[in-house]
Amino acid sequence: MRKKIAFFIFLGWILLLIGDRVDELRVYQGAQIAMYTIALASIVLLTGYSGQVSLGNGAMMAVGGYSAALTLNNLGSPVWVAFLMAIVASALFGAFLGTAAARLSGPYLAGTTLALAVGLPEIANQFNFLGGVPGLLFDVGFPPERLGEEFTQYKWFFWIASFIALLALFITSNILQSRYGRTWRAIRSSPLAAELSGINSSRMKILAFTISSALAGLAGAVMAMTISLVAPGAYTLTLSFALVTGAVLAGVSSLPGVVFGALILVAIPEVADVVATRFGGGENLNNYLPTLIVSVLLILSVIFTPNGPGEKLRRHHHKKKI
Amino acid sequence: MHKLLETLLIGLSTGSIYALMSIALVLVWRSTRVVNFAQAGQAMLSTYIGFEIASRTEIFWLGLAFAIAAGALLGAGVDFFFMRVLFKHAVSGAAAVVAPVIATLGLLGLIRSIVGLIWGGEFKSIKAPASTDGFTIGETTIPFSALNLLVIGTVFSILIVLAIVFQRTNLGLSLRASAYAPEIAQLAGIKTARIRTIGWAIAGGVGGVAGMLVTSNNFLSPYSLDLLLVFGFIAAVIGGLESMVGSVVGALILGIALTFILNYVGTSLVFIGGFVVLILVLLVKPDGIMAKGKARRA
Repeated sequence: MRKKIAFFIFLGWILLLIGDRVDELRVYQGAQIAMYTIALASIVLLTGYSGQVSLGNGAMMAVGGYSAALTLNNLGSPVWVAFLMAIVASALFGAFLGTAAARLSGPYLAGTTLALAVGLPEIANQFNFLGGVPGLLFDVGFPPERLGEEFTQYKWFFWIASFIALLALFITSNILQSRYGRTWRAIRSSPLAAELSGINSSRMKILAFTISSALAGLAGAVMAMTISLVAPGAYTLTLSFALVTGAVLAGVSSLPGVVFGALILVAIPEVADVVATRFGGGENLNNYLPTLIVSVLLILSVIFTPNGPGEKLRRHHHKKKI
Repeated sequence: MHKLLETLLIGLSTGSIYALMSIALVLVWRSTRVVNFAQAGQAMLSTYIGFEIASRTEIFWLGLAFAIAAGALLGAGVDFFFMRVLFKHAVSGAAAVVAPVIATLGLLGLIRSIVGLIWGGEFKSIKAPASTDGFTIGETTIPFSALNLLVIGTVFSILIVLAIVFQRTNLGLSLRASAYAPEIAQLAGIKTARIRTIGWAIAGGVGGVAGMLVTSNNFLSPYSLDLLLVFGFIAAVIGGLESMVGSVVGALILGIALTFILNYVGTSLVFIGGFVVLILVLLVKPDGIMAKGKARRA
């Protein structure tokens, strides 16, 4: 445990050093990576451990983002309270939804959460206090003055996002290594055997759904911070799909993998941009090449390394030992 | 009173399009145990092909025929080149539950990007085969148009054709048999793999029709059929995901329910309305409105 805390502090220190040495755009992308890391951790917990497929994490992020924005704008509370509210609200919502979801399996759950991902962000268009299409502002304020004149807004975002992401990863990894993590894996590999060993599988599934939603909500609030607003257009179906993609590419049951998955999600548009320019550009190529790359990667990884690139390596390693 | 009538009629027309999509999903689910999220993509690509033909020849029905053919080919192709490969790499471990879902999502993205690369993202429209002006009853004009009537007519003729194929032909019998009990069907001399591919082809063709009909009243873009997929899925679940009749009934109920929300509650709540209907059905009758008990489930 102490080793782990030391490791996370060391990781934070490295991030601080990196944050000082790269330009503004990279710092911004760093904040995005931190945001995706949290969101992907929520999928790893839900899908990789408890075996439930959700295509609605974008909607959970919307719940978190909106709760944080409403808290910040209406109560004038400190920023950390807003983030806390995002966690609480989305956890409650997740518990409610999980109660229905625990009875669903596989494709039913995927379809239901898909319907949620389509429907939920649209609610904001209906009610005035949610800001409609343009959305609500989300302003965490300027960085504290003692950090110096040179300290930019994006770097402040990066600091907050990285701190939250490290904390979230630390807590999640502890949860996954605890009794709960083991129980979820037991349910996933054999629901019947788990029930026979005295596990209340539907209660455990609801718990997984709740924690996963809390993480997603937190990610939603972090995302709201990096783009300074919450709007229905930010939490699209495309976002939900991207999250599932990132989780699968990184290996859906590996928590350290989420950093890699988040990196891919941020890097692919950049890579696609370079490739598109090489091939002469064109609007269509620029717009759809990222989707093309992501989809091809997704299909290949599902067919060849369904449990992520890490697993193949581990198995290879294992064979050598024998 | 007019508003109520109008809501029912429009709901029937929208619902009948959902019915096609949900039949496509049910067909694939019954034969392959996969909810094919790529169905929206397949329908989209077929609709783009139908759109090209319809806008060049100015004949909607020729476009529709091409869309059906393209959809059928595409459906068979997806099963033959994609699903068989996926199932051959016998998936195990953590991803086993998610693999088919993820794979079809990947396929959806792949088709979407290919369509985007060829046709771009701008909205296209197909010239409607009938007037989109509403009928006039007495002095008031309601939004229900000749096109809506034509949509209902087309859908129901297709449903009748499907019913005849499934109930009266040998092919239909093999399709039902291999969905119900693949091993026994195989022992009875049915080539189940080939029958499955035919099932995918029928689903693809039906999806193509759904895409063309939606587009005749709306715009076509690489994202325009996602909602159709979601509502088709909800309709299929209302019907129990196993029964074609159930999914048609489910789709009509859903279409009318959503039109009620649209006309009486609020435009933006339509989408979440679908979700609420879905949750209600899953809580109250998780096996669908057509479930007669567990006995018949293989």
